[in-house]
Amino acid sequence: MTGRHASTAVRYGMTSVLGLIWLAPLYLVVVNALRPSTGYTGTHLWTPSSHFALIGNFGKAMTAAGLGSSLAATLFYSVVAPAIAVIIGAMAGYGITVLRLRRGFAWFMVIYGGTLFPAQMLLIPLFFGYADARLYDTRLGLILVYVAIDVPLAAFVMRNFFMSTARTVYESALVDGGSPWNIFWRIYVPMCRVALVAVFVLEFTFVWNDLLFGLVLTHSSGVRPLMTTLATLSNPYAGVTVPVILAGGLIVSLPTVALFLATQRLFAKGLTLAQL
Amino acid sequence: MSQQVLVRGTRTPIPPGRRRGRRMRTSGLWAHGMVAPSVLLVAVLLYLPFLWSLYLSFTNYDGSGSPKLAGLANYSQLLSDPVLATTLRNTGLWVVGTLVLPVGLGLLIALLTYNIKGGQWLRLPFLLPYALSGTATAVVWGFVLQDHGVLNSLLATLHLPGGSVSFLQQAPLNTIVMIFAQTWQSIGVNLLLFVIGLQSIPREPIEAARIDGARGWKMFSKIIWPLLRPLTAVVVGLALVAGLKTFDLVWIMTEGGPGRSSETLAVTMYRDAFVADNYGYGAAVAVLLTAMGLVVSLLYLRRQANPRNDVQLAGGGR
Repeated sequence: MTGRHASTAVRYGMTSVLGLIWLAPLYLVVVNALRPSTGYTGTHLWTPSSHFALIGNFGKAMTAAGLGSSLAATLFYSVVAPAIAVIIGAMAGYGITVLRLRRGFAWFMVIYGGTLFPAQMLLIPLFFGYADARLYDTRLGLILVYVAIDVPLAAFVMRNFFMSTARTVYESALVDGGSPWNIFWRIYVPMCRVALVAVFVLEFTFVWNDLLFGLVLTHSSGVRPLMTTLATLSNPYAGVTVPVILAGGLIVSLPTVALFLATQRLFAKGLTLAQL
Repeated sequence: MSQQVLVRGTRTPIPPGRRRGRRMRTSGLWAHGMVAPSVLLVAVLLYLPFLWSLYLSFTNYDGSGSPKLAGLANYSQLLSDPVLATTLRNTGLWVVGTLVLPVGLGLLIALLTYNIKGGQWLRLPFLLPYALSGTATAVVWGFVLQDHGVLNSLLATLHLPGGSVSFLQQAPLNTIVMIFAQTWQSIGVNLLLFVIGLQSIPREPIEAARIDGARGWKMFSKIIWPLLRPLTAVVVGLALVAGLKTFDLVWIMTEGGPGRSSETLAVTMYRDAFVADNYGYGAAVAVLLTAMGLVVSLLYLRRQANPRNDVQLAGGGR
């Protein structure tokens, strides 16, 4: 019994020490993000400043390099693109499994095969193609890319989900006079809403955190996504002081931290569904 | 076939059959219509660019005029490029490092905090960083690791060696410290998945083993680990792919430098294409990255292609 107690104490001890090490960088970021940006000397980094300047630093970060307008743009991308992708992907899953599209599995592989390409394989043609199609540096252009990248995952999860539902649901709804679209929208979408939300949360985070497509496909501040702008801000030549950069890093992280903590289980469900 | 059944069953010929035929035709149209948006998007925005990149990798395209075919010139240049040797070494370090450290530590912490009071609070510090983007992680760790930064002053205060080391300025140290930064960020997802995996393990085998006297390492290696294996497959798969495509952290913390000493394949591709305007060569690097990803996934999938795993995985997701 004492052996058991001792091992529990070791478990508490080890995880607490490691946990403190893990929290230290976050502590440093918060403490130094609320330090006045003008008197920053890079010393006494561990002690909180007596002046609370977080709000002022937030303000400076929002105006510097256009972080504020990027925030609005990214909120738009990361809500709209995954929402469209999830619906379109669910439609594909429904068409393949419930409506029994001919050679459905082959079409499914075509859609899912899209996940095999790393972003690096798409960047150069998208850059030049977008310039020709006047989609370069437009919000529509970014939404299109994000939707296309998110669709295969959504289709994959939804197909698996619909395969496990009974075909009789569709047949009896058809007998009751529903059209295929109405049956999809009124019966199948509500039925799979947990899976839909799980995929949405996962894809919201992907889009919110994207750096690379923003780097290649945009340049003006109303279109540039958040992380790309933060990257510009953190460049030593941007002429922004450390507390302002750290405040910027905090702002852009708060939404995903909140979402992640609120939906941990759903998030993990999305990840496991995605790998099945 | 259904027509025959209908005819035989009802003894009323053709009309019902014809109606059913029309309904099936319209449902076929509906099926095509439902799948079409996905196929169109994927074809235009993923497949077409993919093929175009493949084509560009055989040209000397520099962004102006039209691409001219150059045969295998880019690929033979790749083989003799000293930058690529460094890049491949760094990418290898990233793949191994971000596989071993975040997955191993994630499993360790999941085991340590499993089934003890307040376990979810003990796990919180490790989960928080996972919600940060690669870019935000780079901002945090750039602040810690920069010259005369937090880590330097901390080491100096504690009278430890390293007070004046430039962590991001020398290779391969810069790659190694960035792998630690990545570990700090990505441990959370592995921890989360392992905790869910542990919670979904049925109680009976554990209790039975306990009665038989299994404890500690023996309990883990003989009972828990085999039951966790399907979930480990998911975790390892995610880590492999992410490690191979490492870009954000490196691009923001060092831009692949100093020189080109900390570049990964994804960074080399970006620099060659969009900084040096050498799009043909950049496309060849992208093709190499894709090929390596395919090889890794195929090797990995072949090891994991076991129908039994799927069933257990479904349980792990709940």
